[in-house]
Formats: sequence, C-alpha cells, structure tokens
Amino acid sequence: MSELDDFKATYFDECTELLTELEEQFAAIEAGERDADRLNAVFRAIHSIKGGAGAFGFTGLVGFAHAYETLLDHVRDGRVEMSDDVVALSIRANDIVADHVNAARSGEALPADYGAHEKSRFDALCRGEAVDADADGEPVEEFDIEFTPVRVDIGAVPADDAFEAPPFSAPAGHWEIRFAPHQALYARANDPLLLLRELAALGEVSVRAVVRDIPVLADFEPFGVYCTWEISLVAPGITQGQIREVFEFVEGDCDISIVELGADASAAQPAPAAEALPEPLPAEPDFLSLAEDEIGAIGVSALAGSAGEAGPEGDAFADSPVPSFAELAEAIKPAVAAEAAPAPQPMAPAAAPASAPPDDGERRGGGVQSIRVDLDKVDRVVNMVGELVITQSMLTQQMDETLRARYTELVRGLEVLAQTTRGLQDSVMAIRAQPVKSVFSRMPRLVRELAVKTGKKIRLETIGENTEIDKTVIEQLSDPLTHMIRNSADHGIETPERRLAAGKSETGTIRLSAEQAGGNILIVIEDDGAGINREKVLQLARNKALVAADVQPTDEQIDQLIFAPGFSTAEAVSDISGRGVGMDVVLSNIKKIGGSVHVRSWPGRGTRMTLRLPLTLAVLDVMLVRVSESPYVVPLSSIVETIQCSRAPFERVPSGGKVLQVRGEYVPVIDLAQRFGMPTQADPESRMVVLCEAEGGSKVALIVDDIIGQQQVVIKSLEENFEQVEGIAGGTILGDGNVALIVDVQGLKSTIHHKNAA
Amino acid sequence: MTGLRVLTVDDSRTILAMLHHTLSNAGFEVLQAEDGKQGLEVLESQDVDVVITDINMPVMDGIEFIRNVRASGQHQSLPILILTTETSQDKRDQGKAAGGTGWIVKPFDPEKLISVIHRVVH
Repeated sequence: MSELDDFKATYFDECTELLTELEEQFAAIEAGERDADRLNAVFRAIHSIKGGAGAFGFTGLVGFAHAYETLLDHVRDGRVEMSDDVVALSIRANDIVADHVNAARSGEALPADYGAHEKSRFDALCRGEAVDADADGEPVEEFDIEFTPVRVDIGAVPADDAFEAPPFSAPAGHWEIRFAPHQALYARANDPLLLLRELAALGEVSVRAVVRDIPVLADFEPFGVYCTWEISLVAPGITQGQIREVFEFVEGDCDISIVELGADASAAQPAPAAEALPEPLPAEPDFLSLAEDEIGAIGVSALAGSAGEAGPEGDAFADSPVPSFAELAEAIKPAVAAEAAPAPQPMAPAAAPASAPPDDGERRGGGVQSIRVDLDKVDRVVNMVGELVITQSMLTQQMDETLRARYTELVRGLEVLAQTTRGLQDSVMAIRAQPVKSVFSRMPRLVRELAVKTGKKIRLETIGENTEIDKTVIEQLSDPLTHMIRNSADHGIETPERRLAAGKSETGTIRLSAEQAGGNILIVIEDDGAGINREKVLQLARNKALVAADVQPTDEQIDQLIFAPGFSTAEAVSDISGRGVGMDVVLSNIKKIGGSVHVRSWPGRGTRMTLRLPLTLAVLDVMLVRVSESPYVVPLSSIVETIQCSRAPFERVPSGGKVLQVRGEYVPVIDLAQRFGMPTQADPESRMVVLCEAEGGSKVALIVDDIIGQQQVVIKSLEENFEQVEGIAGGTILGDGNVALIVDVQGLKSTIHHKNAA
Repeated sequence: MTGLRVLTVDDSRTILAMLHHTLSNAGFEVLQAEDGKQGLEVLESQDVDVVITDINMPVMDGIEFIRNVRASGQHQSLPILILTTETSQDKRDQGKAAGGTGWIVKPFDPEKLISVIHRVVH
C-alpha cells in the first residue's frame, strides 16, 4: 500500500499549495477584485481538492467540498452574487476545507456535522437564486446530485461492481441490437469495431453488417456513413443497462435499439425501423458453465463461425460478412484476454517501459519545466557542497608561497576549483530558495482578522514578494512575522478616532517588504501608527528590573527593550499580541536562523522593524582573524573596514574605556582578547581593528591580533553541539581541521549596553 | 493492447500520479501535461493513441483543448476521454460537442478506467 501512501503524500502537498493559492485569491477578492479569472482559480482549487479526496475516500471532505464547489459554480456563472457575505462565508469555508485536509492527513476524525452549518448556508444561497427564478422555491435540481466517492484500492483487483449481475435474472438473455452510427460518432473518434468488441465481452455475439446502403463507387462520399450493424447477443444475466453502457459514449450519435427476445413487450425498446428481426442464434448452454477465461476463446471462435454462416444465408437484409471480420475476431482476442486477466503485475516486463518515473514522460512531453525533488535529497547535496567548500579552502590554505611558485599548474587548478565550488554552491542554494510570497500571502488574512478584532481600519501593503530566501528560513519566518504584524496592528496602529484626531487618515497602513541586500535578506515591517510609547516601555522595563532605576537609556535602546526577554506590554493592552509570549520570542526565533531584528520608532509617526536574515543557512562568507592563539571568524557582511591599530584614531573616554573616532562618529571598542579572556602577546601596534556594523547602522570596533584572510565557512550550531555562549553566534570547522568560533557582532554590542546599563 | 501511448492532461498532480500508476500497470506508456496548452504541445511532437483530459484546468481548459485538437486536422480519429467529477450532463455534453469521444467519472475505478479505454482505442 506504499504506493497509495505516496499518492496521499502528493495529494496533501498539492492541497497545501491549493490552500495557499486560495488565501491569495481571496485576499484579492476581498480587495474587490472579483473577476472571472479569480473565481475560476478558486473553483479549480476546490475542485482539485475534492477530486483527490474522492479517490482516497475522505468522504467528509468530499461532501463539504462538493457543496462549496456548487456554491462557487453558482457564483461563477452569476446565479449567486459574490457579495461580501458570500466572500466571508467562502473564507470560512476555506478554513473548514483546510481542517478537513489536516484531519485527513493526521488520520483524526472530525465531528460528522463539521461544517454542516456552512454547508446549509451554501444550500440556502444556491436555493435563494432558485426562489427568484421560479416561485415555488424548489431546490435547483442540479444541487441534489449526490457525489458518491469511490475508494480506490490500488494494487488489489477491484470488485467489478459495474458488471455484477443484478439481483433479478433475465429469463433467456437473448438480445437483438440494431446499431446505426451517425457521422458525428466518427467525428468524435468513436469506432463501431470497438463497441462491437465490447459487446462481445458481455456474452456470445453474432454480428451482421448491413451494407445494402453502400453506394456504387462513383457516389461514394469519403465521410459518408453507409454501414449499420445488427447484433445478436446471448448473455444471460446481463441487463439492458449494461448493454446501454457500451453505447454510453455514442448516445445521440447513433440510432440504437436494444430488444430482448422473448421478454415482455413492455420491456422491449421500440425499434425505430421495425422490420422483421432475424432469428437469434441458438443459445449454447455449454458456454455458461465454462470458466471466464475460456469464454473468451470460444466466443471468438463461435463468432468467426457465425460470420462464416452469415454469408451464404443471404436473407432479406442482404447480409454479408464484414470484409474485415477476421480482423474483428483478432481484435476481440486481446480484449477478451485483457478482461480475463486485467491486472498485470507492476514488475511484469510488459509494464517496464511505461513504469518509468512520471518526469520522464513530462520531459518527453516537452511542456513541463520543473521536477519535484524530495527536500532531503537537496539537503544532502547542500551538505556535501558545504564539505566540498571546506575541502577546497583547506587545499587553498595548504599552498604557501614556495609551493605556489613551484606548482603553477596546481595553483591554477585550485583557482578553477574555487570558482567552480562557488558556482556549485550558489546553484545549490538557488534550488532551496523560494519566494517569500508563501509567507507574505498569509498576512492579508491576519491583518483582516486583527482589524475586525481591534475595530481598527488597517491596510496591508506588501512589496518584494518575489524575493527568494532559503526554504528553511522561510519556514521559520512565519511565526515571527505573524507576531510582529500582530504587534503593529495591536500597538502600532491607532483607532480610527485617534488617527483622525492626530490628523492622519482613518485607515492605518502596515507595509511589509522584502529585499535582498548583499548576503542578507531584509524584511521590513513598517506601520504609520503611534510609534513605541517609550515612557511606558521604560517604566515597564524598570518595573521588571530590566533597566536599573538610575540608568537613562537612549531612545534607540528603549525601542530595543521590546525584544528583551520577559518584557511584554501585550497582556497589559489586549489579548491579541499577548498570548503569554512577547517579542523576545521573535528575537530568539530569528536568531535561531542566524538573523537579527532591529526596531526603530518615530513617536506619532510609526514604527519600523527590520529583520536581517541570511540568504542561506549553510554557508557564510567570513573574515578569518586571530585572537591570541585561536582563530575566530567575523561575518563578512558586517565588516565595514579594517584599520591597523597603530593608525587608528582611538580616544579615551572618562570612564576609562576607549572609543574609535571614525569620520566624526565615536564607536565603542571591544578588545576580543580581553572580552574572551585570552591573554595575548601580540604587539599592540601591530594589532588590527575590525570595524563592524551592527543592526540599525550602529557600529562597533573589534580589536584582534591579526587578520588571516577571507573565506567561506559552513556554520555549525554551538547550541546543538555545546551550549549558547554570549558573544558567539556559532562555530565552524576550518580547512585545517581547527574549530573557529563565529563572532556575534550584534550580541557583543548589546553586552556593552548591558554593562552601561548595569 | 499494451504498448499504447496515453496522454494524460490534468492540473492535479494527484490525479496525474494515479492515472500514471493505473495506466502503466496496465501496460500503457503514459505522457503527462498539466493543462490544455501543454497537452497540445505534447500532441505536436508525439504520437499518442488516446488522450485523457480533465475539464477544469488553468491556462487552457479541457473543452478548449479538445476543440483545438479536433481543429488541428491531424487528430480527427484520436480518441479523447474527458475526466470529470461532474455527474451532471452538461459538462459531458460540452465535452462531446467539442469532439470528446467519451468520459471517465472521477474518482475512477482502475479497472473501469482500463475498460473504458478499451472501448475507444484499438
């Protein structure tokens, strides 16, 4: 049954995508874009979800989706108006569909009446139109269609319901069928031969072609239809419905009469051309006791025999055997054989050419430009590329000056290797990259809900949805982003009255944007609300002993306090942002994926929160430095410049510390040797200053013993392998096998603040 | 009956995968397309013996796809089966009017699917 599980996995993946698509479509529909394309897309999404659900026997989902789909169909063709009520109901319905999908995925059972209320509203809406159309208020007939799901049992031979004998038995089972195709039948690529063949699968057939209407060659029209057929069928236990089913596709494209000989006149179908029917072939009871697979063979020979007989008889119908009768017999043989042994084993050689993976077919089809790959496989490649990067940098490090001079070819080779590795790495990362759209698209809905809950008017703008980030980063982004937007809606944007009083427009705006900046992705959440209430924040922080009573932090430091652990103004204000966790959770989540958060606020004008995220989680461009005897790495993206200590314009400050003066700006200085407690013998004059930029553009100068060079490293988590260390963002293994720690610039800078604050 | 080439056209990967499984187990060679436009592209470059197509698809729906196939002049006798969950007659009628040969009601029973294909293809 693992194949079935595979299909299910595909189905659930697809559902996730379709549900996201629904969110997107409804965000636009809510905004007033109610054009046909959107409605069609919504209809298709629900339709696809229903289709798959039927195949797996998720009856609850099928039932609900069907009712919803019917409503959408009514909306689509204008029978029901897409009013705001209908939109709201539909959004609710999307949730119910999602719940059904989740329940199906986890194997939980939802209450039998789950969504029954909404379902009855769909009914009412559809009926509402019907009432307008005809006054008696009868439900539209179409709506009463019962959608019966069929559970697909892959692998097992399914019970052949369609061909099962009905509870009553026909007395003789002798049928006489007249079949006169119209031109349309051929135009739709139906083929009488195949229909006759299928009849032959039902029982014993004798076929006579009526060819008297075939004109002389001169009058012959290439697409004219001149031939009709008369078939005697001996098939005890077969119902007329089963025979009709054979002609199901050609109904309306042919004249057909089906008469059971010896049955009631009332049961007989009126024959349009009531001529004397030929005598049916005598039944051969011996056939009836034969095993199913034998019937096929005998059926064919009997058919061939009757064809031979039909010729010389030459009765009133001017019957003659169809010239290609042998061909017909040949054609029947495999068909009957296929009926008898319908399920070749998947591993059977016959199935081999066709059981190639689907993408093979797609490639040959030429229309599909993407393949789906298991994420694990991609991650394995990413990891291996990471190791390759390390090996490559190790090789490069081994090349000292003498070797370089001696092995120029090797050096050239290593340079090419470095380039290729870099290219490979970029390509692999691009595979994992996804547009932030998948996260952004969930936000309009959130904002809508928040607006309703808070009674505020809020508009959400999104910019840069197509910016791509590593898939893992995206997955980790949803919660923090949700939290930050909640925060903006709850604390940032004011009530319409207050906004009007402050001379702003009634509707507040939250702008969500993403852009790539160097090796980082910046995600900015801005609102035009009241800004952070610094007095209140500071007071709360003091109350919670996060800031000492005698310290006066700067405005920027106060703003950052909202991310401090244990600080949350949420519960004091409302239940929306609160939920027991504060913005500190956002910070720790973002840090977990190697990012940082910065907040800036303008009282009365708004707040901007900036998330800086790494493009990829796996590899980091760094500057390798030496502090005492140990290597450290500083992320290249945070380095502004490096200066020799001997030339650095240091200035002493009254507290005894040092600051660096850079273009009129005073930058705090951290001696890493001191900070990490590693006594150094290095000549103070030869040491280096690495000027780094932390969040929000504030700078910090790190003093190191030496700068070794630039390289790429694969990040290893310190928390997973050891424990969290203040001032250290992680570790990495260098080419020579040594472990180097990654300096956490932002973290180091905040420790200065803490010290100042303490 | 084995070795026939079937083009399956559906925007649902689940349905495509299930069709592929059922059809390849029955010895068919399976080609896939995700909408009518892709389906037409496949038909331009490949010989197929039978087409199974969904109706509701983005870009080009099944009805338009069938119409285009028939209008192309090269595929007058190519059997086209419509995959539909609609039990209502009108979708089938539309499909038939466009030139569809027959239909398969989703969710399909694997054996029924094969027998329906046998009804329309040599």
